[in-house]
This record gives sequence, C-alpha cells and structure tokens, in this order.
Amino acid sequence: MKRYFREWSVAGALGVMLLALAVFAPRFYEWQPMLSRLTAMAPTLVICCGMALVIIGRQIDISVGSQFAICGACGGLLMAHGWPPVAVIPVALVLGALLGAFNGALIAGLGLPSIVVTLATMVTWREALRWLRQGELINIGSAQWFGLSQAAGQWSMVLGALILLVAIALAMKRLAAGRFVYAVGTDAEAARLAGIRPRLVTFLTFIFLGALTGLAAMMFSVQSLQVDPNTGNGLELRVIAAVVVGGVSISGGRGNLWGVLVGLLLLTCISPALTYLGVEAYWEKAIQGAIILLAVVADGLRNRKAPR
Amino acid sequence: MSASAPKSGGVPAVFRSHEFILFVVLVAEWIFFYFTGTSKNFSGATFGFGTLDAQIDIFRHGCEIGLLALVMTPIILTGGIDLSVGSVLGFSAIIFGLLWHDAHASIAVAAAGALAMGAVAGGLNALLITWLRLPPLIVTLGTFSLFRGLAEAITHGTITYTNFPDSFIFLGNGRWPSFGPVDHPTWQGLPVQGYIFILVAIGVWLLVHRTAIGRSFRAIGYSPEGARYAGLPVNRRLALAYILAGVVAALAGIIFTARLGQAKADLGSGYELLAITAVVLGGTSIFGGSGSVHGTLLGAAAVAVLKDGLSLSHCPQPSEIGGMLTGLLLILTLTASVLPKILSNRRSHRQTAPSTPQPSPPSP
Repeated sequence: MKRYFREWSVAGALGVMLLALAVFAPRFYEWQPMLSRLTAMAPTLVICCGMALVIIGRQIDISVGSQFAICGACGGLLMAHGWPPVAVIPVALVLGALLGAFNGALIAGLGLPSIVVTLATMVTWREALRWLRQGELINIGSAQWFGLSQAAGQWSMVLGALILLVAIALAMKRLAAGRFVYAVGTDAEAARLAGIRPRLVTFLTFIFLGALTGLAAMMFSVQSLQVDPNTGNGLELRVIAAVVVGGVSISGGRGNLWGVLVGLLLLTCISPALTYLGVEAYWEKAIQGAIILLAVVADGLRNRKAPR
Repeated sequence: MSASAPKSGGVPAVFRSHEFILFVVLVAEWIFFYFTGTSKNFSGATFGFGTLDAQIDIFRHGCEIGLLALVMTPIILTGGIDLSVGSVLGFSAIIFGLLWHDAHASIAVAAAGALAMGAVAGGLNALLITWLRLPPLIVTLGTFSLFRGLAEAITHGTITYTNFPDSFIFLGNGRWPSFGPVDHPTWQGLPVQGYIFILVAIGVWLLVHRTAIGRSFRAIGYSPEGARYAGLPVNRRLALAYILAGVVAALAGIIFTARLGQAKADLGSGYELLAITAVVLGGTSIFGGSGSVHGTLLGAAAVAVLKDGLSLSHCPQPSEIGGMLTGLLLILTLTASVLPKILSNRRSHRQTAPSTPQPSPPSP
C-alpha cells in the first residue's frame, strides 16, 4: 500500500469522481455512451502503454500525434484502395515502428535530447502530411469497425487494448526486458555497468512506442467512415498527461502500467464531468496543462520530502 | 568561443567559427531566394524578394521570432528549454486585447498588463523549475498547454480583438523616421518594432556576454551542481532567465498584435520550434554551457528569410513546406553538431581500448 501510494491516491480520486458522477449525473452510467467513451479511449490507452515505457526509460516523445496522423492516413489510403483491414494493420505497425526508429536513432544513436528531436519530428511529419494530403478526407467505406458490426468492433477494441495493457504490465514486471527499461531510466550508467546496453534499450522503446502508435491509429481510423489526416493534434499532451498523472515519474525509473490505466480513466472522466457541471469545452486544453503541472508538482513535493 | 581557438592549416580561426559558416549559409540562402523570388512586372519594375521593401518586411516579420530566440538563448545556455514561449505570446496578446477592448484600458496600461502577465507566466515556470527542481521540459510542456488553453478559454476559440487605434497599428506596420509626403515618402527608416528588437538584442547580448550573470548561465549549463558548489545563486539565475523569457514573449505578443491589427488565441503557435531552431542553428549547444547571442541572431535571420522567402518565391503551400524544412533543418543542425564529437570519441576509443564502451543516453 505504501509503496504504491501514488497509484492508490489517483485511484481514490477516480473513485471520488465516479461517485460524484453517480450522484450528480447518473446519466453518465448509461451503457451505450459508456461503451463509446471506452472505445474512444482505447487507442489512447494503446499509445499510453508505449509512452509509459519511453518515460520510464527517462525519455519523452512529443511526436506521437504526428506519427498517429501519418499511420492513420496511410492505413486509410490502403483501405480505400480495397486492402482488407487485417492486412493493413501490420503495415501500420511497421510504418509506426519506422517513424519511432527514426526518433530512436537520433536520440539513442547520437545522444540528442529527446524533447528537441521529437519536437522537430512532430512538426516535420505533421507539415509533410498536410503538404501531401492538403487536409483531404479519406473514405474507407466498408472497412469501418474492421468490417465487423459496430458492437463487435467496439468490444474487440476495448478488450484488445486491455489485454495489451495487461500483457505489457506483466512483461514490465516479470520479464528481464521490462526490468532493463526501469534500470536504464533509474541510472543509465549503472545499467551499463550491470551489462545492459542502455542505448539499445532506449532505441527499442521508441520503436515499440511507434509500433503501438501505428496500431492505435488503425484502431481510431476504423471508428468512422472517413479518416481525417489532421487528426491526432494535441494527442501527445493527452497521452503524456495520462502517463504522468498515473504515477510514472518524468525523471525515469518509476511507475507502472496499472497506474497509467487509472490515470487515463481519470482524465477520460474529467471531460464528461465538466460537461455535466456546465464548464465549456474551450477549457479543455487549459485543464490538460493544469493537470500535467499538478501531477508533476505532486511528484516534486514528494521527492522533496523524501531523503535524498 | 571558437574565434579564440588555435589556428591550424593556415585558415584563420574566425573563418572556421560556427557563426561564420552560418553567415555563409545565410548568404547562400539569400542568393537562392533572390533568384527564385524576384520577378519583374509588365512595366519593368522589380518586385518580390529582391526589393528593399521585401527585405524590410522580412526584418519586420522576423522580429517576433527573433525576440523569442533571443530570450531562449540564456535558457538553453543553462541547459534548460522553454516550450511555452509561443503560448505565452498568444496568451499575453489576448490579455492585451482583453484589457484594451473589454476593460477599456489605455494602450499603455494594456501593454503593461500584458507584460506583467508574461512575467507571471515566466515566474510560474521559474517557480516550478527552481523550487521543486522539476525538469524544464515537463514544466514548460504543461504551461505550453495551460497558457494556450487559457487564451482559447478567454476567447472561446473564436473572438478576435480588433479596432486598435492607428497609433498602435503604426508600431507594427509603420516605418520611422519617414521623410517627404505622407502618401509617397521619399525615404523611410526601419520598421518601428525593429528598434525595440535591436534594443532587446543589445540588452540580451550585454547580459550574456558582458556580465557575470551571463557567465553564470554558462556555468549552470556546464554543470549545475558545480555552479551550486561554486556559490552561484543558481535558482535566482534560472528564475531570471525564465522570467525574462516570459516578459519578452509578452512583448513579442504585443508587437505581433500591432502587426496583424488583431489579437487572437492561436497567435504564435509553433513559434517555440522556430525559436529553438534559431538558437540551435546559431551554434548554442542544446546541452547547455556554450553558445552566443550573435549566433542566435544569425540563426533567427536564417529562419526568417526561409519563412518569407518561400512565400515570395511562389512555392505552393509555403507554410507547410516552411514548417517541414524548419523541422528538418533543426534535425540536421543537431546531427551536425554532435557528429564530430561522436566520430572522434569512436576513434580515440579504438586507439585505447578494443571494446567501445557505450556512453549513457542523456536525460530528456
């Protein structure tokens, strides 16, 4: 309990929020909107899993929104040309992994700061996509919900994302590869002396995040009839906010996937809660920023109290 | 700086300095746009990039980027980063418009309010970075979202403040001094905001290169712990750098409003990238510890010429291509700045030890 105090406190906040919604806005618990809310959350959850690894490894990636848009647009184009969704998903995975590998090569290979590298790639990919597609929508027609019925599509997405989360959470806990990420995030030099190759680990976490972003882009694209190439704007902030709120330390080496799930659930509840409370949607970005700051301030205060 | 590096191979050190190479690149860029962006109309008059008016306009448009880049330099020298400058610019512009339009304050009072808001914004960054020792990247990523979000919340994403008085618009669009008749002046000086820019540039240059404070910025970037043990007031110096960035970003917001004649919530979005690119292009190490303000000025000029040159040379979708090229330029400069070190490391390792140890990856 004490060890996971941070995670439990976020879970407590989520509980209070759910309780408040049950009292003041019982309509929040209607089944159909709840399922579509969870479905909308599923792609973000998938990216959060990858982002948690990158941040635990003491790096950051703010280009995921642009990677998401590129993978979505490419996947959408292939589906529009009649490719079956089953064949498009691997393509999106590989494309995302390549975009992640580009970041990873610059960061792990050349030792450049991840924030500046991914700031540059964020803008480069985004503007390249705008230049090539000029914001034109892509009609994917029958590929919506992977060709399944809407309910089956929604369920497969929510369950798929959860299974992925559980698998990665267990791998981070039980597998050596998962412990390597923690080791590199805690102290890269110590990890190196212990026989881990920190730069390889960093490189692989970026590739993993890219591949998951590609998968998430496909999960998002098939939720509607058309793919908007301008999608994913500000997605990186939502993802980073969820990961940081979920107790992953921005200075690396601490946090777990369960906390990230709770953090994302909390953030997902905030916006409907605000709607029920009558706060306008324009505040979303400001609240996002305030939440990131609150979460890191909470961590900072705790670190201040802890003996150095 | 590299100008004082020992000579080798007969080439004077000044010609091998980063600033000189950047200057050559800037001239090349300028010549390229001179030939692609200049044309003659049917009556034989030149227009486009090659005219003096176009150059004046580039200077005018470059002022906001330049101001942000100038104050980003001390921050990057300390090894930090400020992603929130573009958002603070937009937020202060909205505060300025709000004070003038809705609170009926005078332009001077509104400007003072906007600058104060910039100081508060910079102060928030500084507080979290120094007091809690949080990494600048996550703090300024949070304020990046917070201040842009506040600007959107105040304006509901749609309101723009307009109808500013002519004297204020003159700040953004006029030139001074001006001789001859008002309609067809025979000779005009620099853009009005250019003088503000030059003053800030001189101020920041003196601060960074001629004062003990400037030295302490480098010392902090070189080794924060070392600077602390050396008795430098690290927190006060960091706070100064971030608050200065907030105030000057607000100033840039006011100038931007004057140039466009309107204050809107998305003003200056993406400018943090332009500013960081200008600083890194100007030879300041992204890891902190070394760099120069005159390098930043050249870098800002390169970014500004690229931005305007593309639209003047009739290239389709100049803003998209401009954004793409700026991002690529930043990646290329960063790569070029670390490659020699990596290569020489590899060479020396090969000479001393058979196995190459892995240098640890940097913290974000």
